[in-house]
Parts: sequence; C-alpha cells; structure tokens
Amino acid sequence: MGNLVHNETTGNRMTKYLVSTVCLAAVFSPIYAQDVPVSSASPDELAVSHAECSFFGPQRERFLPNANRRTRLGDTTIKVMAMMAAPAASTGDSGNAASGSIPSLPGGSRSYGRPTPNTSDNLIDKEIFRVLQQKGVVPAEKTNDYEFIRRVTLDLTGRIPTVERLQSFVADTDPNKRANLVDELLGKSEWVDKWTMFYGDMYKSAANQPSAGLNRFPQGRDAFNAWIRNSLSSGKGYDQMARELIASKVTPGNTTFNFSQGELNWIFNGRVTNVRLVQDDYDQMAANTAETFLGLAHANCLLCHNGRGHLDTLSFWGANTSRSTLWGLSAFYARTALQSPSAGTNLNYWYPVDNPAGNYLLNTTTGNRPTRAPLPSGNTVTPSYPFSGKGPQSGETYREALAREVTSDFQFARASVNYLWAEFFGRGIVDPPNQFDPDRLDPANPPPAPWTLQPSHPELLNALAKSFIDSGYDIKALMRLITTSDTYQLSSRYDPAKWNPDWEPLFARKLVRRLWGEEVTDALALSSNIPTTFNQRDSAGGAPTWAMQTAEPQQEAAFQQAFLIGNRDDQPRSDTGNIQQALAMMNDATVMGKVNPAAAVAAQGIVAKSLALSNDDAVTNLYLNILSRYPTDTEKKSAVAFLSTGNRNQKGQELAWSLYNQVDFIFNY
Amino acid sequence: MDQQKWEKILTDETTRRRPAFFGRPHWTRRNFFQVMGAGIAGSFLAQEAKAEVCSAQSVTTVNKAENVIFILLSGAPSHVDTFDFKMTNGVTPATAAPATINGVLWPTGILPKLGNMTSDFAVLRSVRSHALVHSLAQTWAQIGRNPAGALGNIAPNIGSIVALEKASQRRPSDILPTFLALNSGGALGPGYLDSQYAPFKVNAGAALPNTANGFGQARWQEALTQMHAVDDVLRIDSPLGKAAEDMDGFYESAKSLMYNPAVNQVFTVVAADSQRYGNNAFGNACLVAKQALTANAGARFVQITLGGWDMHTNIYTGAQNIFTNGKILDDGLSALLSDLKGAGLLDKTLVVAVGEFGRTPQITAAAGRDHYANQFAFMAGGGVKGGRVIGQTNATGASITDFGWSRNREINVEDIEASIYSALGINWTNVCYNDPFKRGFEYVPNSPQDYWGPIDEVFK
Repeated sequence: MGNLVHNETTGNRMTKYLVSTVCLAAVFSPIYAQDVPVSSASPDELAVSHAECSFFGPQRERFLPNANRRTRLGDTTIKVMAMMAAPAASTGDSGNAASGSIPSLPGGSRSYGRPTPNTSDNLIDKEIFRVLQQKGVVPAEKTNDYEFIRRVTLDLTGRIPTVERLQSFVADTDPNKRANLVDELLGKSEWVDKWTMFYGDMYKSAANQPSAGLNRFPQGRDAFNAWIRNSLSSGKGYDQMARELIASKVTPGNTTFNFSQGELNWIFNGRVTNVRLVQDDYDQMAANTAETFLGLAHANCLLCHNGRGHLDTLSFWGANTSRSTLWGLSAFYARTALQSPSAGTNLNYWYPVDNPAGNYLLNTTTGNRPTRAPLPSGNTVTPSYPFSGKGPQSGETYREALAREVTSDFQFARASVNYLWAEFFGRGIVDPPNQFDPDRLDPANPPPAPWTLQPSHPELLNALAKSFIDSGYDIKALMRLITTSDTYQLSSRYDPAKWNPDWEPLFARKLVRRLWGEEVTDALALSSNIPTTFNQRDSAGGAPTWAMQTAEPQQEAAFQQAFLIGNRDDQPRSDTGNIQQALAMMNDATVMGKVNPAAAVAAQGIVAKSLALSNDDAVTNLYLNILSRYPTDTEKKSAVAFLSTGNRNQKGQELAWSLYNQVDFIFNY
Repeated sequence: MDQQKWEKILTDETTRRRPAFFGRPHWTRRNFFQVMGAGIAGSFLAQEAKAEVCSAQSVTTVNKAENVIFILLSGAPSHVDTFDFKMTNGVTPATAAPATINGVLWPTGILPKLGNMTSDFAVLRSVRSHALVHSLAQTWAQIGRNPAGALGNIAPNIGSIVALEKASQRRPSDILPTFLALNSGGALGPGYLDSQYAPFKVNAGAALPNTANGFGQARWQEALTQMHAVDDVLRIDSPLGKAAEDMDGFYESAKSLMYNPAVNQVFTVVAADSQRYGNNAFGNACLVAKQALTANAGARFVQITLGGWDMHTNIYTGAQNIFTNGKILDDGLSALLSDLKGAGLLDKTLVVAVGEFGRTPQITAAAGRDHYANQFAFMAGGGVKGGRVIGQTNATGASITDFGWSRNREINVEDIEASIYSALGINWTNVCYNDPFKRGFEYVPNSPQDYWGPIDEVFK
C-alpha cells in the first residue's frame, strides 16, 4: 500500500484521474507537499499535532450566508406590499412609552424614486448604477424614511431608533437629513459599542480560546477591547490600528504587559499550541496577518504546501504561488518571541519581544505543519513581503517592517474596505471577503482566460480603497460614504416574481440582514423599556446596560446563542436563521419578560404604557416602538379588533408578542 | 490538470443557462396547504424539481436503509488500540486484554461490549485519510470531499443531502427535522442548499428548550394567529427575499416542535436508560438518536460527535485515555445497536462511526500517538453484513496489506459517503448544476467517472 503523499506509485495512479476530471487536482494532490526539495522523511512518520487551519471547520462557513442568501427565481403571484401607506391623521395627544405624543407626519416625504447614475455624486453610485444600467437591470426604489432610519441606526449603532428620533427624522424637511442622521449616529457612543464588537470578533478578543489552547484572561481581553474602543472613538486611522496590532512593543515601564496594553494581545492569535515549534507560531502569525489585513485566507494553505494542485480552481495567484514565497512573509515574525514573566502560574501576562537576531529556519520534521527542509539557497529564509519583494530596512524591527509593508500595500486598503462593505451590504465586492485573489483584481491588467476579474465591481473597489487611503484610513468616513450612497439606501423590497438572484452581486436591492443576537436583545430592551441584565462585564470593564457592550459574545446566554453569536475561537458569528431562533423569539424568557414583565417593572413596560391609551393609539404606539413604523391600515384594523375583545391586558401582551415575532423585527431590511 | 476540460468548465460557467429554480423549492405554507389540506403543520414537506438541474449515471443502489446514524469520532481515535487492534509488547497494556473473537483480535479491555456483538457490525481496516489536520479532515469527513476543492466552500453536509433527497417522503406527521445533529455544535451546515436542510443542533440529555409558551398554549395560538394574519405578506413569497421566507419556514418547524409530547419523548432521557447507555453526553446522544428513530417522526439522518480522541500524550494513562474514551464509545454504541435491533430498526438503520484520521502505530516519547493517515471505519445495520472485516493492515497497523474490496485500493471518506447514499437508495452519481458557481455539484466527487463509489462488499 502506498503512502498518501510522496509516493511515486500512488502519485502515478492518481495522475490518470487528474487528466480526466476537473476538480481532482485539489482532491488528490499531496496534502503535505513542500516546496522544492522533497523531505526524506516519510510523511507517515510525520508527527503532526493540533494543527488548526482556521480556513476549515465551522470557520469555513463564516461568510457562507453571503453566498447562500439567494432568492429563487420567482414564478409566483406578485405580492405588492401595502406597508407604509400613509398613516391616519394625527391622533392628538396620545402617548408613547418614552415621550407622550404621536405627532402627525408630513406628507410627501416618503417616495424617493429610483436612482440612476446621474442622481448622485457618490462614487459608489456612479459605478453601481452605471453597471446596472449597462446590464439593463432595474434596481429597487430608494427606501423610505422609516426604513432608512431603522436600517442605518441598526447598521451603525446596533440599536433600533427611539420613537422620538424616528418621528423627528421623518418630520425633518432638510434635504440633507439622511446625511445629517449618519453624522449624528457616527458620533454616538453606541457606534463605538457596535464596532468594538465587530472588530473584537475580527481580532478574536476573547478571554479564552480553548481550541487554540490560548488564555488571555479577562484582563487581557478587557485591555484589548479598551484599545479597540479607544482607537475607534479617537478616530485613529485604520492603518495605524494595523501597525499597532502587528508591531507594538511593550511601553517602557509597563509591568502588566498585555493586561494594560491592549494591542499586544492580537499577536497571540498566532500562538497555536503549548508544545510547539517557533516556526509554527511564525506561520500562524503570518496567516492571521494575511487574512485579517489583506483578505488572503489562502495564505494559510500556502504555508503548508504550494498552491498548485490545491488552489487551481480558487485562486490564480494561489495556484502559482509556492510555500517558500509565504515563508518570506512568516520570516517577518522570526524575531518575535512571545514571553511570559509568570509562566507556570495561574495568571499569565504575555508580551511580544523583538529579538535583535534570529531567523526563520528550515529544519523541522515535526509540529503543526509539514516538514521544512532546506531550499537550494540554504536553510534560512529572509523576510520578503510577497507582493513587493521588500524586506526590513535598517533601524526597524522585523515586525515594524512588516507593518510598513502591509499598510503601504494597496491590497490592505482594498481588503479593509471590502470587509466593511460586506457588513453593510451582506456580501463583498469580493466575496467571500477573506478570499481575495490578488492576481484577478486589476481591471487594467485582467488575468488570462479562462480566469475573469474577481470583484463584481473592480473599479469601484479600487476607488473605495483609494478614497479610504486619501481619508487617512478613516473608518467613519468610509461608513459615511457607504451609508449616504443611494446604493445603500435602495429598498430591500423587490417583487419576488421579478427578482433574479443573479442580480445580487450587482447590488440591485438591499439585502436583508438577520439582526445579531446582541441587536435582538437590545431591540427588545429598548422597545419594551424593560432592561436586560447581564452576567458579563462590558467591553470597558464595567457592568453592561446593553448586550452590545458585553466584553465578548455571551456564551452563557442561551437566547443570544440561538442567534449564532460565535465565540471568537472556533465558532464564527453567523447571520443564518434556524429553528431555535423561532423557538426563542416565541418562547424564551428574554422575550416573554418584555411582554409580560415582572411586577416590579411592569408599569414602565411598553404594554402597560400602551394600554393606558385608546385602542387606536395603543396599537400605533406598539408599532412605533417595536417595529419603528406606523401600522398599515390593514394592520391597524386587525390589531384594534384584536385588542377590543377579551381580557384587554392579556390581549395587549399578545399583541406586543405578535409584533416581536413579525419578520420585520428580526431583520434589518 | 486537464487544461482543456478546465477551460471548458470555466467557459460553460458563463454560458450555461441558469436552472429553472434556484435553491429554495416551493415549500411555503401556501403550497403546503394546497398539497396537504389546511391545518397541518409540517414545513419539511418539499419537492425538488431535481430532474431539471441534476443528471446521474445509471446505478443500482443497495436501498435497504431508511435512516442513518453518523458518529464522528473527532480528535481521531487510535486505530491500533480499537478496531484495528495490534498488541505491541511493552507498549499496549495487558489491561487491553486482547482476545480472539471470531478470528479477530479484539481489545476486550477497551471495547468489551462491542466484542460481544461482532456479528452485528463490519469493520473497515483499509481506510485512509487525505489530511492530517483535524479541522480539515473533520470537515472532509462531513462533506465527503476536499474542503479546499472548487466547491468545498459551498458543499453541504452529507446529512443535508440526505435531507434534500428524503424531503419528498416527509409526511404531515413528520415533526422532527430530517437532519438532527446531537452534541455536534461544530457540525457542518447545508452549504449551498436551502436552509431547511440544515442540521438541527441539539445537545442531548435535556428537554428541548422553549417548546412551551409562558402565555399557555391557547393564548400563544391566539397571538400566533394574530401575527400571521398581518405578517404573512412579509413571510410568504416575501418582497424582502428568501431570508424572510426561510425564517417563516423555521417558525413552521418550531411550531410543530411545541406542545408535542412526542417531541419531549424524543429529547428527554430517562435515568435508567441513560445509565444503560453509559450515563454521559455521548450515551445520551445515542439514546436520543434511537428515540428519534423509534418515534418515526421525520428524523432520518442523525449526526453525533464524540470528541476527546486526540491523545498525543499518555494514551493509556492520561486523564482522558483510550480506556476511558473507549468505554464511553463502547457503552453508548453497544446499547444503541442492541436497542435498534430490539426495536426492529437495525436492518433499516445504517450506523457509521469514523474518525477524521488514525494515529501513529509507534508510541511517541510522550507516551501518546500522533496523527496518521491509516484509520478504521465502523459500519452496522441498514443492509450491512455483520461479522466482517474489510481490508487488512500489517503487523503494526502502519500500512495496508489487503484492500479487501473490489476497487482494490484504499477506502476514503468519499467511498463511505457513497455507501451511505447507496444504502439509502440515493444515486450517489448525481451531479446538480444549481450550485452558485454552476460548475456542477457532484454528490460524491468523481463518482460519475466511477472513481469513488460504494463499498458494496460490506453489504454482500
């Protein structure tokens, strides 16, 4: 019997199949093929331990919903939504949970028509609508004010809007009111809360990562969160954030290391196991750098084997890149030592040290990754950034050199922009956003047939990246550009009989997004006026008021777990639906406690406040608070009739429950 | 790689007409009512217009199994200490108590109960893994193909394919999802298939949470009726798109799980039964799997995960060692086989247990075993002829000396995948062109060229 790899007989037999089928190369090729020289050790003797290639396992599905959120080709009856019909005239002095009155709405502010390339100066719209027009695809109409304020408030701050803001926004006659609202939201502390959670997910700010055998302790995680918070609230450029994560040193005099200097914590994601080879750490740090800052998840594959035979159908760049090229990236970490002054005790500080000497050596036969045998050029790898060929300069550490190379790479801006774009639009311009193919990005230099350019809108992606760079890598400026675009403001509604799923990458409509578990929890608390209590500390070390402020996804909260909030270790956050979410929305105490609250808080709750009003106003009040909109005529008639028979208090609870279980509560649409 | 073929596929990708449907079949409540008559909950009834988008070779399936229990032994168990037992003097402890049972050397100190029922199952010893990285190989085993291959990123779990294939057989009384994943938080999902084919993930041992409402059943139904009265315009043929329709589907499924004594019976374990299954999480999962199948309520594919096999250090003496984990597996699996047999279900239920790879025949300096491609697979029920060993390895378990089957090569997870499909009467050579890349999704990769295919010998 032949070995799986490095076996001539096996290889030849398999080659026969390689020529007859397309996908076999990726299946059959040696898993452990190294670069040029083949190891003399039999791969079967290779001790491989605890390799955790983050590209696989549940992590594989991290961005799957984006590819999967497909609509069928419709052939069914056209459904025309009656939603957002003009509400009835003012109901006078009726109240709501927070302020006490529901003013009438100005007419004529709700239809914005259908954007064209000429209706906007936004660089996003110029390109998106140009392509739509060119392809003859009719985009959705621009969304109305109610939907816009709910959408953008959720997207930027993770909350639903308050009823007061909702109404003042709709009543506002300023033509720039949407842009003004965006600016207002970008200035809120809730914006910092939400994006601390987002970047905390991306950087894996967890106290404990069992699958990697990594423990930062709550102190390390809190410091990490604090660094993210401070970076976001101070408007630090994203390039500076990346430089600090990649290259920060311990500040002189800091004796608690990563417990007080949060940015030191990122590098530990590369510390893969307890019993290990330093090269495995270097490789993992390089893989993390490539995926996080360059959108290149395939670097992880290439750190085990050449791309040919593995990435042939996935990446033109990857298929033509060798393991040794990526060693050049890993070698930037070859002088990074992860040290702990209190190793062996229960409480560990960790900090990275930049050694003055040391190299990436090709001399391993064990560990997490395949044998590293000397190249013809020797057994030492020189740091060399794969996309520039440049290495360290005098006066900088290896890590500083890498940070400089990464942040001066145009791909860094492209990948960073695309990650955020995917969060706002439900799919990336390159999708999935962690699988860039660097050789299929340049519209001026397209890849040879049969390959095609990878981004759905290559020019737009480059323009966005350039704009990001010109703004000083300003995250808020990018979010402003996105959320003030007509593209972002397209309605998510589209006649299901006319929608073609192939239009999804054209951004012809806004894709709906199931709310994060934290967003659902906070929307419940905000709309019901019944706060939620949390077991965890918040991301600034205090007691959280809102789920979005918790230091990391709450592992002990079953309700939030149903919404697949992830664990910043081996389970990524996901926005797919499941049966448990329906069970939780219908029955979990988190929801039931809002519609039928404990006696001590019942009086302040949305049900009690609403039931103090007439049936008409009670219904309107519930809709405004829970769904951030007025009921349609049909809804109102139905709800008022419902409330008018039977036990009014019970009916009020049930009506509130029914609104929490409408699909427009659980989705940002 | 064949450049011509490759180019053709890439070219076809842009020119091939898109199929008449994409992903989601018409399984809305409205369609359901049309088919079944109003008033019955059951959102898993679905008809795929498969012929429009799929093609297959003409094959003969075994078609004896109605259900599958797929046990993933994650962490990779040592084959030479379990189902391909090798006594190594000075290494294997005497307490492994090897004895020859029906001509097979068996570790009666590690797997005693299974040793008494070898006539009920087959052991495959010529199995080899493609990869030695846990997450990669575990994913490989669940999707039956290379996760880094062209369609690896969108490939469904085998259980999701089964759920799709068996969707048309669902009856109104089928309240459970077709695909249950017990103690399998990391179970791979439905890939590019519709979310209704996703694994329903439950940790076995406790009642299913949130199956009753604080209002009481009557008021809950009243509130639900009110919700549907106004919200169905957004839930059925939704202008908000597929995600909203899917959520409605999940509500339909959720409703059928509520206030249902049969559901409680499936997910609640009685202490005495749990004891028989080993009184641990894995045993409870086996018990719930058996209860789900005996309930005959729609569950057809049950995935169970038993971890803890990654024994790099002190494989015989560590806190979690081959004896302790072996006992967990032995207790749970033997009770499962006995109960299925007693209920007359074993003939209709294919039970597969497999790790993601094996472990080194040589003991390491740390008294453990590292990762190794040679491994074993366990198959029982569903047409499998018991009391068989397929394939042989050499004295140390380091290499295969006899493949033991007609294809005369090593067995891979793709072959096991094909065997599962064949046992269930599913044509494993199906190629469906409704994948997002329109490359053609092969149920079992390269099966149309007859490379990977069912291990017919275990059924004969």
